[in-house]
Amino acid sequence: MQRKSSPFLPVILLMALAIIALGAIFPFVYMALISLTQKTMLNFKFDISEFSLINYSRVFKNFNLLVNFRNSAVVTVSACILNCLVSSMAAYAFAKKKFPYRDTLFFAYLATLMIPGQVTLIPVFVIMKSMGLMNTYPALILPIINAFGVFLIRQFMANVPNDLLEAARIDGCGENRIFFTMVIPLIKAVLVSLTIFTFITAWNDFLWPLVIASKPNMKTLTLAIAALKGNYGTNYGLVMAGSTLTFLPPFLLYMFLQKQFIEGIALNGIKG
Amino acid sequence: MHKKKSEMVFAFSYILPSLVLIMIFSFIPIAMDVMYSFTKYNVIQKPQFVGFDNFIRMVHDPYVWASLRNTIVFTLFTVPVQTALSLFIAAILAGKCQNQFGNVVRSAMFVPVIASAVLVGTLWSMLLAPTGPVNYILDLIGIGAVNWLGGKTTSLLSVSMATIWKNVGYFLVIFYAGIMDIPRQLYEAAEVDGATKLQKFSYVTVPCLSRITYLVMTLGTIWSFQVFDMVYTMTGGGPGLSTQTLVLTIYNAAFKAYNMGYASTVALLMFVFVIAFQILQKRLFGKEND
Repeated sequence: MQRKSSPFLPVILLMALAIIALGAIFPFVYMALISLTQKTMLNFKFDISEFSLINYSRVFKNFNLLVNFRNSAVVTVSACILNCLVSSMAAYAFAKKKFPYRDTLFFAYLATLMIPGQVTLIPVFVIMKSMGLMNTYPALILPIINAFGVFLIRQFMANVPNDLLEAARIDGCGENRIFFTMVIPLIKAVLVSLTIFTFITAWNDFLWPLVIASKPNMKTLTLAIAALKGNYGTNYGLVMAGSTLTFLPPFLLYMFLQKQFIEGIALNGIKG
Repeated sequence: MHKKKSEMVFAFSYILPSLVLIMIFSFIPIAMDVMYSFTKYNVIQKPQFVGFDNFIRMVHDPYVWASLRNTIVFTLFTVPVQTALSLFIAAILAGKCQNQFGNVVRSAMFVPVIASAVLVGTLWSMLLAPTGPVNYILDLIGIGAVNWLGGKTTSLLSVSMATIWKNVGYFLVIFYAGIMDIPRQLYEAAEVDGATKLQKFSYVTVPCLSRITYLVMTLGTIWSFQVFDMVYTMTGGGPGLSTQTLVLTIYNAAFKAYNMGYASTVALLMFVFVIAFQILQKRLFGKEND
């Protein structure tokens, strides 16, 4: 006997899905709309004739958000480049070279992934402070790099054929040249994933910048938003203008690289 | 022989940069954490050995007990809800909407994932403000306004809801990929046996996803243990101690009270918790999932 489900069920399900999807997007739309207004009452009545960019000019003029923007950009871009370079070098050695205690060391790397960053916060702060690195870019950037990248890329190294590397060696290719001209292009896909992952981690980082960047000219965007919200909480337009600006770079990137974002952030960590 | 040695030197030189970073930011800090937990230390003066004072203080600290309670309640609410929600939505999408509409839904639900927790916290504290849009809607449909962030019973729930809102898209994508990997024959066989949609979901989809569900719940739990940014922006731990969490307690002890020794003790407690949880989980579920 052929089972027939009620024709209404799919329609209700589709509508429920549409509402859920709207629920994920709407708060961001609301954020952008509020940022254009001077509202003190939060409702759904928007008068287009009252829209202005005055909140945006205020966050730049009175709150110097451009400095925070620059700091976030410097930290994020450097963290991405450094993480890809450092991690792929280590991953290559772990995957393709033989040396004593290789597996033990890799196991130790994996074990560090179990340690939450909040647990090491205080000692890392003390180390940075004693090296005189408080309020510097290196202090903001370096702790972002961890064993995850090595773990991720090492899995991908199986895609690099040993025969190819051997052939290059016979042709007299130096080890560094093999790595930079042959291995790197072959692992491009996983480097894109790691870059996106690092980008989101660094751009959204909060607790570490909160403790290590105390000077206004070294604060990142997340700190600026938290401060705006803390000090001007009821000036909704202003806070939302800052929030919208903060969200724009990752959102625009996501619009162009959706598939890579989903892979880089959600799927890669799980495959292992 | 010479070739082997040069290969070792090469390997070591390639590992060195990452090894230095991991030593400085992971291994050494754990050892320092243990050392500091037996001291009184304000960063300016040298650490003073105080024996088990910090541990004794911790046992009597209402902030620590509130943090533990809140972290556990938060986890017990957040993890099952976000896991179930993302699994259901993923199953519906995979079953009904492997089309443009389904793609749009998945893409839309991933947007909150890329936003920072600070941004989500800021956004939701506005949405949940006493005269905010959520209360506006509740008022319209006759339920009446709720003091979400200002009420002791609703504050933790509010943070949890915002967290679920941010995370569902992430876990949804993972579940969706998992469902796509389930062999079609299993569903066809179930259909031949006359299984209903619900039966197919409970007897094919759910068992096939056990490894992924385990991963999703583990990850969700570890994230919940670490909740900070969202609480910092939404409630600051209040009202009272109703949203005080472990990381907030560590942060306040270290960077508000400048008591690094005591903060390290609480951090050590958190470390033990997270590690114990992961080992326990591996023991309980690890074998069947390997």
